[in-house]
Amino acid sequence: MRFSGFRVLREGLTGNRGWAPHWRDPEPKSDYDVVIVGGGGHGLATAFYLAKEHGITNVAVLEKGYLGGGNVGRNTTIVRANYFLPGNSEFYSHSLKLWEGMEEELNFNVMHSQRGLINLFHSDGQRDAFARRGNAMVNQGDDAILLDREGVRKLLPYLDFENTRFPIYGGLYHPRGGTARHDAVAWGYARGADARGVDLIQNCEVTGIDVEQGRVTGVQTTRGAIRAKKVAIVVAGRSSQVAAMAGLRLPIESHVLQAFVTEGLKPVIDHVVSFGMGHFYISQSDKGGLVFGGDLDFYASYAARGNLPMVEHVMEAGMTLMPMIGKAKVLRSWGGIMDMTPDGSPIIDRAPVAGLYLNCGWCYGGFKAVPGSGFSFAHLIATDRHHPPAARYRLDRFATGRGLMDEEGTGAQHNLH
Amino acid sequence: MRLRCPLCGERDRREFTYKGAAVALDRPATEAWSADWDDYLHNRANPAGETRDLWQHAAGCGAWLVVTRDTVTHSIADVRLARGEGTA
Amino acid sequence: MSPCAGLLPLRSGTVRLAEVDPGRITSLMPGPGQAAALDRALSETHGLGWPAPGQAILSQRGGVVWTGLDQAMLMGPAPDPALARHAALTDQSDAWAVADLSGGDGPEVLARLVPVDLRPQAFAEGATARTLLGHMTASITRTGPETLRIMVFRSMARTLVHDLHAAMDAVAARRGLDAGGPPR
Repeated sequence: MRFSGFRVLREGLTGNRGWAPHWRDPEPKSDYDVVIVGGGGHGLATAFYLAKEHGITNVAVLEKGYLGGGNVGRNTTIVRANYFLPGNSEFYSHSLKLWEGMEEELNFNVMHSQRGLINLFHSDGQRDAFARRGNAMVNQGDDAILLDREGVRKLLPYLDFENTRFPIYGGLYHPRGGTARHDAVAWGYARGADARGVDLIQNCEVTGIDVEQGRVTGVQTTRGAIRAKKVAIVVAGRSSQVAAMAGLRLPIESHVLQAFVTEGLKPVIDHVVSFGMGHFYISQSDKGGLVFGGDLDFYASYAARGNLPMVEHVMEAGMTLMPMIGKAKVLRSWGGIMDMTPDGSPIIDRAPVAGLYLNCGWCYGGFKAVPGSGFSFAHLIATDRHHPPAARYRLDRFATGRGLMDEEGTGAQHNLH
Repeated sequence: MRLRCPLCGERDRREFTYKGAAVALDRPATEAWSADWDDYLHNRANPAGETRDLWQHAAGCGAWLVVTRDTVTHSIADVRLARGEGTA
Repeated sequence: MSPCAGLLPLRSGTVRLAEVDPGRITSLMPGPGQAAALDRALSETHGLGWPAPGQAILSQRGGVVWTGLDQAMLMGPAPDPALARHAALTDQSDAWAVADLSGGDGPEVLARLVPVDLRPQAFAEGATARTLLGHMTASITRTGPETLRIMVFRSMARTLVHDLHAAMDAVAARRGLDAGGPPR
């Protein structure tokens, strides 16, 4: 089933009776070439690119709940390529290019909106750091414009420019940054993978990973045993538990990150605005709600809800940046479980068990990585070689100390990112 | 979340600073690099359920605490002074 | 010049905030296993003692206020040299802003800023707490039936007065009293 303007018009005139489900609901087979554990954005994108780029279609995606029910369905939807360090820079650049072709590639409207992202700075030192970051982005082939105070005022006139503690000196403008409809991304990849023959199996929890003589042979699930030549773990938020089934201990601590949405308002915020000094960022959804968040609650948690002190902190930061926000009513808040690595960068690598692959550690930045992560992970699974843009996301970089990617410069230690 | 500091009594989460898994109390005996050091510094059991971790009552008495709690329910089972715990 | 010079005293509703001259402030940190010996030395030299966590030992001439794990402040007198045999002593006289909040609504005022129950039934005379006051760390001690002694770092004096003043006015407004209202 293809979407087109003509099709929408025809269905509209004939009572919308011609639409079919977007994917099948197959029974698991006993044997697959590749089993992907985790039916979130990254897992579904991996399945899609395995089929599309590598012709590997005897693939199952096993999902404990429903497709896209985890972090891809509950995030603040920001898409950007404004990283600084080699390793991250080329990866997110590649991912953003995939975003830009995604709707055509998937024939699916993911509401990708390149409304521009502005990172504010508040001191001369920060201006230097952002100028340097902007140069790194331009060198990578992406876009970055350093705005002075008046440049920011032109785009974001509603900010408090006179704040004594955080006077706005300017901002780093990344016009190709923006937002997307989060669960549509999962649905689009699911639909594309299914159409190419991948089995998407929901309500199927993996309970064990079978390893014989150092080689993975399949998985145990709540819907029976499934044999597989290769098993890929893509379960950010639960990576430690699933990896433990294969006897692995990962360099990951799970933390909760909260986000908030207000009631729907008329268009007021046209961009994504990031106020790093206040640990606050905000955009406005197409539905009108202000979508914003802050920093981690900063303790290990799987509770999918945070604590009030961080709620207060985020609200205070919002009021500091744009006092008018105090008039808006918060509709709901939620907490997502983040795979936090010691250096704040992800892992896409082979596990120390043959035939087992790991994709985890996305910290609080996994959404924008969905296409790039799926593409690079599929490449690794299919060819057993690292895809160049993701070649530095190695599992052993913590043990060796080589190739750490610590964007914040705080050190490769848990609880600092 | 509220923690019962052994010195100060039950206090608000705001007064405490989180360090991480209590594995930090058990420093490897040898100085040379080994898999034990990688485990000590980086790798974590990261349980969904009961865990032992280190907090400091930073805005209170300053004591380091070993907290036994549930990462899924946020219920607190035990709080004790880190002094005298572990090998470090 | 004292830390709160030009800022205090203040009065609002039924409470008064006034700066206190604490005399000498000396931090006492006993060496390992030295707490009992320090307790005896404090008793012999100053007529005081080593306080239990959350307690202050108060006297006319000053007192010893518990301020954390293995730490208390000797307030008032210069420390007797004998104390140094059992503890590390550090002069902190210029490091703290000290003020007394007095009046029956004191706990009401601090309830707006401090996450600890400071009402007399929960926080009796001689009780002390290290906690937060707004965004500042503070030491708070009940020195009398209607008096709470507040200590923050000296550099925070203006913030302390500002935050307390706003809380005092808010409580006074709740009571239908004038901010800066009637003398008692």
